[in-house]
Amino acid sequence: MRKRKINGYLLVGLIITGALLLMTLIGAFHTPWDPNAMSATEKFQAPSLAHLFGTDRFGRDIFSRVLKGSGTTLAIALATVAIGAVVGTLVGAVTGFFGGVVDDALMRLNDALTAFPSILLALLVISIVGPENKYNVVLALGIVFIPSFARVTRTAFAGLRDANYITSARLMGASNGRILLIHMLPNTARVLLPAVTIGFNNAVLAEASMSFLGIGVTPPDASLGYLLKEAQSMLALAPWYALCTGTVIALLVFGVGLIGEGLQKMDREVA
Amino acid sequence: MKYALKRILMLVLTMVIVSFLTFLAFELISGDPAEAKLGTEATPERLAALRHEMGLDRPFPVRYVSWLAGFVSGDLGTSYNYDMPVWELIAPKLEVTLCLCLLSFVLITAVSIPLAIWSYRWTGTAFDAVRTAFNQLCMAVPPFFTGILMSYFFGIVMRLFIPGDFPDLRTDFGEAVTHLFFAAICLGIPRAAMTVRMMRSTVIGEMQKAYVRTAISRGNDRRGVLTRHVLKNSLTSAVTFLGQTMAELIGGSVVVEQVFGIPGLGRLLVYSISNRDYPVVETLVVILAFWVVLAGTLADLINQRIDPRLRLGGAV
Amino acid sequence: MLEIRDLHVKFHNRDREAVAGISLTIGDGEIVGLVGESGSGKSVTAMSIAGLLPRKQCDLSGDILLDGEDLLHAPRSALRQIHGRKIGVVFQEPMSAMDPLMKVGEQVGEVLRIHTRMSKEERRARVLEVLQAVELSDPEAVYDKYPHELSGGMLQRAMIAAAIVIHPTLLLLDEPTTALDVTIQAQILELLKKLNAEWGISMLFISHNLNVVRKLCRRVAVMQRGELVEAGSTDQVFFRPQHPYTKRLIEAIPTRHGKETL
Repeated sequence: MRKRKINGYLLVGLIITGALLLMTLIGAFHTPWDPNAMSATEKFQAPSLAHLFGTDRFGRDIFSRVLKGSGTTLAIALATVAIGAVVGTLVGAVTGFFGGVVDDALMRLNDALTAFPSILLALLVISIVGPENKYNVVLALGIVFIPSFARVTRTAFAGLRDANYITSARLMGASNGRILLIHMLPNTARVLLPAVTIGFNNAVLAEASMSFLGIGVTPPDASLGYLLKEAQSMLALAPWYALCTGTVIALLVFGVGLIGEGLQKMDREVA
Repeated sequence: MKYALKRILMLVLTMVIVSFLTFLAFELISGDPAEAKLGTEATPERLAALRHEMGLDRPFPVRYVSWLAGFVSGDLGTSYNYDMPVWELIAPKLEVTLCLCLLSFVLITAVSIPLAIWSYRWTGTAFDAVRTAFNQLCMAVPPFFTGILMSYFFGIVMRLFIPGDFPDLRTDFGEAVTHLFFAAICLGIPRAAMTVRMMRSTVIGEMQKAYVRTAISRGNDRRGVLTRHVLKNSLTSAVTFLGQTMAELIGGSVVVEQVFGIPGLGRLLVYSISNRDYPVVETLVVILAFWVVLAGTLADLINQRIDPRLRLGGAV
Repeated sequence: MLEIRDLHVKFHNRDREAVAGISLTIGDGEIVGLVGESGSGKSVTAMSIAGLLPRKQCDLSGDILLDGEDLLHAPRSALRQIHGRKIGVVFQEPMSAMDPLMKVGEQVGEVLRIHTRMSKEERRARVLEVLQAVELSDPEAVYDKYPHELSGGMLQRAMIAAAIVIHPTLLLLDEPTTALDVTIQAQILELLKKLNAEWGISMLFISHNLNVVRKLCRRVAVMQRGELVEAGSTDQVFFRPQHPYTKRLIEAIPTRHGKETL
């Protein structure tokens, strides 16, 4: 087996994502200005050294707002992916390992759900579970993302079910639980990791879309999508608001996308 | 022909199941419409009278069948918010969204397939990495962000269209299409990038196959191998993917309509969800589901024309 | 007619040469067998004659001359004129070597489409003729079938038809019978003999199966690890093998006293 080499995609992706994460992390404890402090004298200021991303209609510092907003967005995306990955892996593991009628039925349902645009599903779920706030966004998106993770892990588990080393483990009297946990789960990490990067990106984009539509994060919370919604209303007078906020979203998704690309490339080269 | 019939039958069956689940779900979450309608004026007698008038006292299966019958005949109930028949509310918006999605779909197909073939030729060169990165970037920029940028540059700065002011599709067709055109581009960019990515890897995969070697041994040049053999063999994956694209576009249009102020289904859906206008949401869900299932069925039927192996009937 | 002189092929990602200086000639109307185990370089030799090696990924040296024309260093455009027209190739797995989405008749006629100005009707007539010549019953029906609708043996006949449709001077057969049943194998060998006798096409027959080679070829060459270890008339190689590797190969053939095969 050849040595795993870090490739360019992975490196650039890690740098971009790392920088954004670091800034968000700092922003969680300290922002240059109070993100909600208004100032009558500093309305609609173009980006400058004092206000890196300028100010909005109320004289609030956009850079500070973006830092806080990306914190919210990241938290929602991570929580969503966590729900989707954990529950999805559980469902995928059980159905893939045992097969049978339940497996068939669940996978049919899965096909139907994944064919449906995820943003629409999320909107529907939120209309059912109730008021629009960040917790319900996480719940709605988490539910919507379960099928895609379940599909990926199911394939991996079903593929491993008849592998030689699993058969020998079974012959040695290992229980199903032990086989699933000790022998199979570590081997699915390979397919789970790229799925997590894709899921994370979808979560960021979906949350941003929902908040942008006004059916997502609501004040006092502000996510990047919500900021973009705000920015659109003052587009003619403060175009830098939309530009800076949107660029941060795009960079985040781009960085994580490159990591995913890099991981896949590494996987291909090792195989 | 037999296959097509079977596939269409499956489409109908799927739709019946979807409509039943939708009806059931909304029956559970939407509460009592009669109570909602009467509001504070509700007395037990008036409630009972209205319930009888609206047919709510009938058993559930009867109500489902009559709702379904209404659906098929175009009687979709009345919107809570607009107090007008749901169909009259939806029809003009459906037209606009259909135009938007078709426009975007045509753009995606026309751009991404040639681009995929062109980018295939660069495989393994230094340019390849740049191209991959650019591809990732296109997938990363959310449509509502490109939408905002476009409405700033082409709308506010260059005044090619007025953001938020959508001309009537019937009287001002040219203007309306210009408006839709920018929206369609925003909607299409990420999906086109995905199509290029997927198409490129399909072509690379097909190029490894043994029949390509045979084709070369017959004296085909690169162009002949590609056009006569590889493209046709890559087509089924492309068609499946484009079918999914057609479904995804309707989801993306929800957001893009909001950015450009286009009065389509998406905006109506968002508005109706925020206001809990259940008859409208219910109808929209069924229409959107039909759209998704129809796109998949069409893709399958086209693929079955392309690939004779699918005509054996076994694989559905 | 075909002359290989001191051919070397080395892939960039391998340390050892795949073909390490072999020389071989095929006369007009001759069938030459090339024998060796997998990895011995026999297929690579055939691929370099057919110009199917990825030139960017390997180093080539030596000469391959077809009627005096250089095949190894000719530009791609010149090679395309030779492919199909002067050299036909038949591969091991007919099912994967055929384009699954193209009708068998059209694939057989593809060479005509590339190299001649025949009309569609003329091509069809010619294809039907050749399908008849490879002893496919009901050529009309076969013409409009897709590969998955035919059996392996029928497909291999169609592949042969596709390779000879324009009457090439040389037919390269890369393990053409390996994937087939024993009875079908025998029929295909008979067919090749017939085509050789009636059409006068020279053939290079590559196989790991000595028995098959003995039935078909008058001359045979044995390859091991990229080198030609023995060459001569079939009788000579079989009954008086000089090289120890050849001896071992022949001893490995099941005899009538052991488990019976052909």
